[in-house]
Parts: sequence; structure tokens; C-alpha cells
Amino acid sequence: MNTPTLLLAALPTQAEDPEGFHAPGPEIFDLPPLWEGAPTWLTKPTLLAALSAVILIALFWGAFANPKLVPRGLQNLGEIGYMFVREQIGRPFLGKDTDRFMPLLVSIFFLVLVWNLMGVFPVIQFPVASHIAFPIVLAAAVYLLRIYLGIKHQGPIGYFKNMMFPPGVPKPVYILLAPIEFLSNLVLAPATHALRLFANMFAGHMLLAFFSMVGFYFIFQNFSVLGFPVGVLGTLVTIAMTALEMFIQFLQAYLFAMLAAMYIGGSLHAEH
Amino acid sequence: MSEQKRTPEYDGRDFADAAWSVPAYLLSGILVWGGFGWLLSRWTGVSAFIPIGVILGVGLAVYLVYLKHGR
Repeated sequence: MNTPTLLLAALPTQAEDPEGFHAPGPEIFDLPPLWEGAPTWLTKPTLLAALSAVILIALFWGAFANPKLVPRGLQNLGEIGYMFVREQIGRPFLGKDTDRFMPLLVSIFFLVLVWNLMGVFPVIQFPVASHIAFPIVLAAAVYLLRIYLGIKHQGPIGYFKNMMFPPGVPKPVYILLAPIEFLSNLVLAPATHALRLFANMFAGHMLLAFFSMVGFYFIFQNFSVLGFPVGVLGTLVTIAMTALEMFIQFLQAYLFAMLAAMYIGGSLHAEH
Repeated sequence: MSEQKRTPEYDGRDFADAAWSVPAYLLSGILVWGGFGWLLSRWTGVSAFIPIGVILGVGLAVYLVYLKHGR
């Protein structure tokens, strides 16, 4: 070993000190396969995504498999959820076409909601959408549907013409405007659709991990009289942040489904 | 279409459409024409093309929002 390496090894760096406080970093999203020898794709997020689908199928099966005219129990809950998606997400953007797209919108909203709530559910505590592949798949599906519906309802030329060439502009100006329309509608819109959900879930999980780590470290791992209040504060902030997270998780599920409805609505009718 | 326009649903849609598309248009305007200005400045060596492109892009984006939602 040469001298610089020895010198470096002698220095107590933060990362090497087992007693020091380590703020959790992005590595908390780097999860190994579930057990030794499991396929590499079989990790906690994929398991939770599958579990979310099973939970949703079970809930809606229980609610609507044998519907009564006067709803009771689970059916009540299912109807409230369905009505919420129809009135708050579907109607404002799809109008009379809402019912046609309700199966898709209900699935998107509740799937994303359950994915997100996994982030604060005790013991599970991992938001599925904090792995960007999951929101990308949903956003890409909505994107393809949107282009398909646009071409179907406005024609292959009409759709892109309506999107990129707003009427009432002198022809040469289109050279300036069309590229902006193209980038914002066909590239940035789907990208931000997926990124918004991902980034919110990623950041929220990091914050919760950080504050609960503060609480755990100063109360249990390295107890001291001076550190104890810091630990208590960390725990209290964790509780408050969990409440805030639940709100954000609901809000992001709502926004994701709302934007899906907005994109679909834009494809059904030309913008005016 | 004019019948539908007056219902509150379609008012809501218009408003949300505008609210969500403004940032995307501004960003696209800056990226497209700022990027074009950057390419021009690389080609000609005149760095003034970058701010000119960015300002042109923002202006065009605002004009586009007006065309689509302001009239």
C-alpha cells in the first residue's frame, strides 16, 4: 500500500464511522431480489405492484360482484370511490364521453392511489411509483391511447394539424409555432406526466426516511441526554410528514388520473 | 361545439387545459428556439443568438397560449 492510501484509511470519514449518523440517500431505493437466488426483477416494488392489483381486484369484486339496489358495506365505499372519479376526474374533461372511459379512469386512479399509499402503510412502507419504471408504463399507455384516439376521431392528418397548427395565423408564423407545439404536446406532456408522480413519491419517501432515521438514531441507536430531544423532534416531524405524505399521495393519484382524462378529452375533440 | 362550450364542464376543461399547458409551452418555446439560437451561435460564433432565441421562444409561447386559450 502506498502512502496516500494509508493516510486516507487513517482518516475517520463519515461514511466509515459505524457510530456516526448516516442520512439515508438514494440507495434506500436500491432493493435486492426478495430472497437469495430469486430472479433479479422480483424485488419489493414489483411484489407491491402485483399486490396492489390483487387488493384492488378484491375490493372492487367485493363491492360490485353482487350489487344491491340499496348498497351496504363495501358497495357503499365502492360507489363513493366510483362517483368521485366520475364527477371530479371524468366529467370536467370528457363530458358526455365520461362513461365510456370510466373503467380506465377508475383503474388508473385507484391503482396509483394504492401504489402511493404503500409508502406509508405500516411495515410495507415503500411507494411503488418511486421506481420510475412504474409511472412510465402508465403514462406511456395513456400516451399511446391518446394518439390512437386522436387519429381515430380527428383523422391522421387532422389530429396533428389541429394540434400543431392553430387557426388564424399567417402561414409563415407556423414555422415558428409548430415546433413548440410538437415539443410541448408530444414530448414534454407525457414526460412530465410520468415524472411528476415519480418525483413526488421519490422525494416524499426520502423525507420520511430521513426524519424517522433521526428519531431512531438519537433515541435508540446512540442515546444521549442531549440527543434525546432531537430524536423526539425527529419522531414528531415524521408523524407530521406522514400525514402530509398521505395528502400528497392522494393528490398525485388524482392529478395523474386527471391529466389522463385531460389528454383523452383533448384527443376526442379538437381544441378550439 | 358552441352548445357544449357553455356548459360548466367545458369551462372547467378549458381552464384546466390552459393552466396545465402554459408551463409546457413556455418550456418548449425556450428549448426549441433557445436551442436553435445555441446551434446558430455554435455555427457562427456569435453568442448573442442564444438570448435572442430564448426571448423569441418565450414570446412565441405566450402568443401560442393567447391563440389557444385567450381568444
